Amino acid sequence: MVETRQGGAMSGVELDGIVKAYGALQVVHGIDLNVAEKEFVVLVGPSGCGKSTTLRMVAGLEEITEGDLTIDGRRMNRVAPKDRDVAMVFQNYALYPHLNVADNMAFGLRIRKMPKAEIATTIADVAEILGLTPYLDRRPADLSGGQRQRVAMGRAIVRHPKVFLFDEPLSNLDAKLRTQMRAEIKRLHNRLGVTSIYVTHDQVEAMTLADRIVVMNDGRIEQVGTPMELFNNPANTFVAGFLGSPPMNQIKGILTETGARIGNTEIKLHGAINGHAGRDVIVGIRPEHVTLGQTDGTSSLPIELDLVEPLGSEALLHARYGDENMVFKADTNGNITHLAGVAEVHVPAHLVKLFDAETGRALNLGA
Amino acid sequence: MSDRNSDIGGLPVEELVVKADEAMRDRRKTRAGDSSWVRTWDHFRREWQIYVMLLPTIIWFIVFLYKPMYGLQIAFKDYSIFRGVADSPWVGWEHFKTLFSNDQFLRAVRNTITISFYNLIFGFPAPIILALMFNEIIHATYKRTAQTIVYLPHFISSVIIAGIVITAFSPTAGIINTIIEWLGFDAVYFLTQPEWFRPIFVGTGIWQEAGFGSIVFLAAIAGVNPSLYESAVVDGANRWQMMWKITIPSILPTILIMLIIRIGNIMEVSFELVILLYQPSTYETADVVNTWVYRQGLQSGQYDLAAAAGLFNAVVAFVLVMTANTLSRRFSRTSLW
Repeated sequence: MVETRQGGAMSGVELDGIVKAYGALQVVHGIDLNVAEKEFVVLVGPSGCGKSTTLRMVAGLEEITEGDLTIDGRRMNRVAPKDRDVAMVFQNYALYPHLNVADNMAFGLRIRKMPKAEIATTIADVAEILGLTPYLDRRPADLSGGQRQRVAMGRAIVRHPKVFLFDEPLSNLDAKLRTQMRAEIKRLHNRLGVTSIYVTHDQVEAMTLADRIVVMNDGRIEQVGTPMELFNNPANTFVAGFLGSPPMNQIKGILTETGARIGNTEIKLHGAINGHAGRDVIVGIRPEHVTLGQTDGTSSLPIELDLVEPLGSEALLHARYGDENMVFKADTNGNITHLAGVAEVHVPAHLVKLFDAETGRALNLGA
Repeated sequence: MSDRNSDIGGLPVEELVVKADEAMRDRRKTRAGDSSWVRTWDHFRREWQIYVMLLPTIIWFIVFLYKPMYGLQIAFKDYSIFRGVADSPWVGWEHFKTLFSNDQFLRAVRNTITISFYNLIFGFPAPIILALMFNEIIHATYKRTAQTIVYLPHFISSVIIAGIVITAFSPTAGIINTIIEWLGFDAVYFLTQPEWFRPIFVGTGIWQEAGFGSIVFLAAIAGVNPSLYESAVVDGANRWQMMWKITIPSILPTILIMLIIRIGNIMEVSFELVILLYQPSTYETADVVNTWVYRQGLQSGQYDLAAAAGLFNAVVAFVLVMTANTLSRRFSRTSLW
């Protein structure tokens, strides 16, 4: 069977003030991050935010301009990629087209001069785990996208590395296959227990796979935390707008003694305002947090319904309030006709988030 | 009522139905044919610029390759300039019998194959090795300078190339003989000695063409997915291993295609360079089919015999290229067509 790393030496990854610059252009501005042993950390952010560059610095494919990278307690800045004991799964699979599945998986082991018999056993074991046994003689061109992705993962797994690095490994797959492979990656991680750093721009992948999510923007970390921490308590408007599908509605407002005024409507807030009345804020309302019926502790927000998008069990209501565009989620109960006349939604006070209008940082005035 | 229906136009209803079916099928076929013509015409109207660009090449092929094929028949005729191609009498395989009983022709065939073989062994890998070496150069300016230097000889006329070679190997002022004399040996008149012709000829060919030939392989290398190298780096491969295990296998289809083309040209030893470098004293190793055809056809006026030799050349090349293509397709899934 495939060995899993259990106990023993720490195989965590530590990034301390990591900077990457190409000449005068700095693209990663001092990343501090600790990835614990066996942890699955997802770096997520929009294109060009520096997440792949950060991952490539961990792999040794990019030089670190400043800062320290430590893997398993050892400083790795000047260590060659092959000696870092990491394995990487690439976005486009990076399978050798002239080699069959077995040879692709054996490539790294042969380079490391592992005995042939041991290579054969390892590949057979990993192929079994990944369901690749019937395809060992096939070349990558003769495989489907999902099978290729599995081979790419197999090539990483056979090495028994300390750290797995995934660079947007599912982005070339169709939506259905992506969901399937996402679950497979999660199962594999649970089974192998190898420290993993995973890069994606897909927040659903980040939410479903991660033990902790690192949201990056413009070469900086915006927030680190568990998926639910980030979802429930985004540190700023960027994180609030990045996680969640559809993202959190962010509406300009002014604090009053009892809540937040949006246009002519007052949204009641949970907790005390503590003398911040008159302050400009961004009011954050998650699309799924509103209700169509009035209940205790909710405020009514009148809307102009623009469009109803049925998704099956729920529907998206695209609406306007003044100049603000908003999206809300509503249950369909198998029918959307009752949604056509929606003129107001009800916002629960305890689920409203507030952000500073100037800095975009989360406000916790009542705490 | 039933009587009328059963005998319309003198035919029973069943037969009428069959005929109607056939007519429908014919109409459908005609419509399908029409639509295919319409599609072709639409495509032509939409993409006419591409066909206009193709036209010069087609005209070149017709004028220089297809039209002269008409003249090939003189290989089987007792050709007379005064009677013309059509009116010259047929002589069957006569010229081929003459060719294969002619020692000079057989020597030319032997020389052609030998020189081509040397070219294949030494000349074919040279641009590949050069491309692999260029690929390893990291310094961009040095790489560009080196590439320009090795490409240059390709753009120099064969006459000048031959002049340089003749001067370099000259027994009086040539640099080679100067070095030999410095080392205390007697000067050698290389170009008059049959045993030196082939190495000098093949070496000159490599010097002239290897650089330019490397462009194709450099382009193929540039097309290799960079993440294959990154993946190999993470797996622990060094540059040497990456060259053998990634670069060469990745450009193998290009290498095979170029090899097939090269094999197709195996009977086409660089005619100008041989003419410029050989002398009667080196005919023994230097005279190739093309130079023999030139001497017989143009200098001795035996056009029919020369045409027979040329046809023989073409048939051999055709068989070789077909064989190479078939073998390549079977063993490497790569083929020209």
